[in-house]
Amino acid sequence: MKSKLGNHVIAGEGRPPWYRSDGQNCDCYIVGIAGGSASGKTSVAQRIIKNLNVPWVVLLSMDSFYKDLTAEEVEIAHRNDWDFDSPNSYDYDLLLETVTKLKEGKQVDVPIYDFETHKRYPHKTMRRYVQKDANHLVPNKVNTVYGANVIIFEGIFGLYDKKVLEMMDLKVFVDTDVDICLARRIKRDVAERGFDVTGVLTLYQRFVKPSYDTYVYPTKKNADVVIPRGLENLVAIDLLTKHIQRQLQERKMQSRWDMARICPPHELPSNVVGLHTIIRDIETSRHDFIFYADRLATLVIERALNELPYEPRVVETPTKKTVHGLGLKANIAGVSILRAGGTMENGLRRVIRDAVIGKILIQTDPNNGEPQLHYCKLPPTIREANTFIFLMDAVVGTGAAGLMAIRVLLDHAVPENRIVFLCFLAAPQGLHTISRAFPRVRIVTSYVDPVLNPDTLYLEPGLGNFGDRYFGTEHE
Amino acid sequence: MAYQPPKQVIVLPQTQQLKACTTIIRDKNTQRADFIFYSDRIIRILVEEGLNHLPVVEKTVVTPTGKEFHGIDFQGRICGVSIMRAGESMEQGLRDVCRSVRIGKILIQRDEETALPKLYYAKFPPDIASRFCLLLDPMLATGGSAIKAIETLIDYGVAEERILFLNLISCPEGIAAVVAKFPAMKIVTAEIDAGLDEKLYIDPGLGDFGCRYFGTDK
Repeated sequence: MKSKLGNHVIAGEGRPPWYRSDGQNCDCYIVGIAGGSASGKTSVAQRIIKNLNVPWVVLLSMDSFYKDLTAEEVEIAHRNDWDFDSPNSYDYDLLLETVTKLKEGKQVDVPIYDFETHKRYPHKTMRRYVQKDANHLVPNKVNTVYGANVIIFEGIFGLYDKKVLEMMDLKVFVDTDVDICLARRIKRDVAERGFDVTGVLTLYQRFVKPSYDTYVYPTKKNADVVIPRGLENLVAIDLLTKHIQRQLQERKMQSRWDMARICPPHELPSNVVGLHTIIRDIETSRHDFIFYADRLATLVIERALNELPYEPRVVETPTKKTVHGLGLKANIAGVSILRAGGTMENGLRRVIRDAVIGKILIQTDPNNGEPQLHYCKLPPTIREANTFIFLMDAVVGTGAAGLMAIRVLLDHAVPENRIVFLCFLAAPQGLHTISRAFPRVRIVTSYVDPVLNPDTLYLEPGLGNFGDRYFGTEHE
Repeated sequence: MAYQPPKQVIVLPQTQQLKACTTIIRDKNTQRADFIFYSDRIIRILVEEGLNHLPVVEKTVVTPTGKEFHGIDFQGRICGVSIMRAGESMEQGLRDVCRSVRIGKILIQRDEETALPKLYYAKFPPDIASRFCLLLDPMLATGGSAIKAIETLIDYGVAEERILFLNLISCPEGIAAVVAKFPAMKIVTAEIDAGLDEKLYIDPGLGDFGCRYFGTDK
């Protein structure tokens, strides 16, 4: 059980509609997979992910939750005398915390276990690099995950801890014949890890087999489904996948979206609705589109200013009267998520004449709908204590680009509560995704559309591609 | 008890950032560039709010996704009318919102002999009688020139209920005078000050708006 397989985020290919089209609560679905060493847990998990074909499935390996070893214990481990197959070698509290956060859709730093140092990353310090030994700094490895739709958690003790079991929606035990497991293990450890056969067998006899018999195999009774023969059992895996898909579908029906803070269209002021009527109209010329988009941007920016702190300010008028007024107690830096977020810059400059503006270029990978970060140039002032960031995007659909941009800002040490996210138009699920992952980020939008088309990823009725219409790059 | 303006008066939402803007333009130490910038910001908000009080009709458009959007359209056309000189300072803000809006002008000065406001000049779009008029004057003090301007508009055939008077700073005296004379029109104002001082300036006010905007003070 020394697999170096980390946790990785695997996106399904193509079809994106894990996002609820009507924006309900997106408690994610958790599948736990247990089984003996080399029983094919990971392969089964990957097969399920492939079959599910939804974005943002997180494969979480139990390896991440090994306890840190002391210096002496590391020595033992390097002599292959450490029992990694004992249920006591895992940190179940951290595991529970991580799974709970993921289930709530919060962002979480999933640790990465380093099999050389036998330490977990990230270390408690938030430093980017940590001391490996006297001469080496290594990156503080961390895998940040949020907004997952399905989490597949696998490990030999995947069905061991009671509290973790309670979090799971589906519990699977991969019951592969122990002879086959041993054969695979020998093959793998000899080929990939430079062990000799004797070494593998010694470990197997000392730790792996006793642990399997005493601790792992009995957890089979905790499983909802037992898959005999592991990956070979395509029928079982496909049945399992169908079940998960059905469950996900059912969840889509339960609307728990809290509309309390979203103004229904008929309560919006008529200037906002009038502006939307113009910019949504396919007949509107680009000339008009730009003018009215700029006007709308100005309104959004003005509204966003209300989210900032103010302080009392006393001034004297030219007629020598005293006025007890207010002054803005913050600096503002704009950050536009390119390309479309750049359309809000005119509006920003109309309100904050000399606003510094940073840029983040995020493009959606056409193959899987996942956002990709291409470019990032942020003003140095973003770290200053009184600077608030106006993060600007034109349209929020799935929220994936927004999440990434917010993540980028957080990685640049901007506190979450100093980010105000601005957009012209949003889908409820995008707003929901962002506010769940980053509850302290404030979001200002001028309109919420009901539908996010799962195939085109356009909002409906929507307004088409905002960037194309503003910059004039649409096809005829 | 706090002053309650009559129902014809629409006061902008008293947000913190609006207060911060008016604090800047009231401050005697504010540089002219800042005075213009923050005035324009408030004026844009005033015009946007003014538009919310014009009648609308439902309008359905088709978006590039092929779906229908049920929106609205403003019913009828508008024009601006600025009371010279200070009212002209509001034209930029008006144009920021209503791009190629027609703008009429009225010049009203105090008659040296009678001390009453007197109309010196008026030039309006020829079809003004069919339009909604956004009457522009940044300060509403005694209401003397505003009343004269509104009388002029009505003379030109504009219906009283089609006039929206936009100003930044007003006071109860001016509001009372205008509303008493023209109860069917609306006033949109950013802030209502305590009242008039002995020189009939708005208290606390911000000095002479036109002079500060156009740079002719001192």
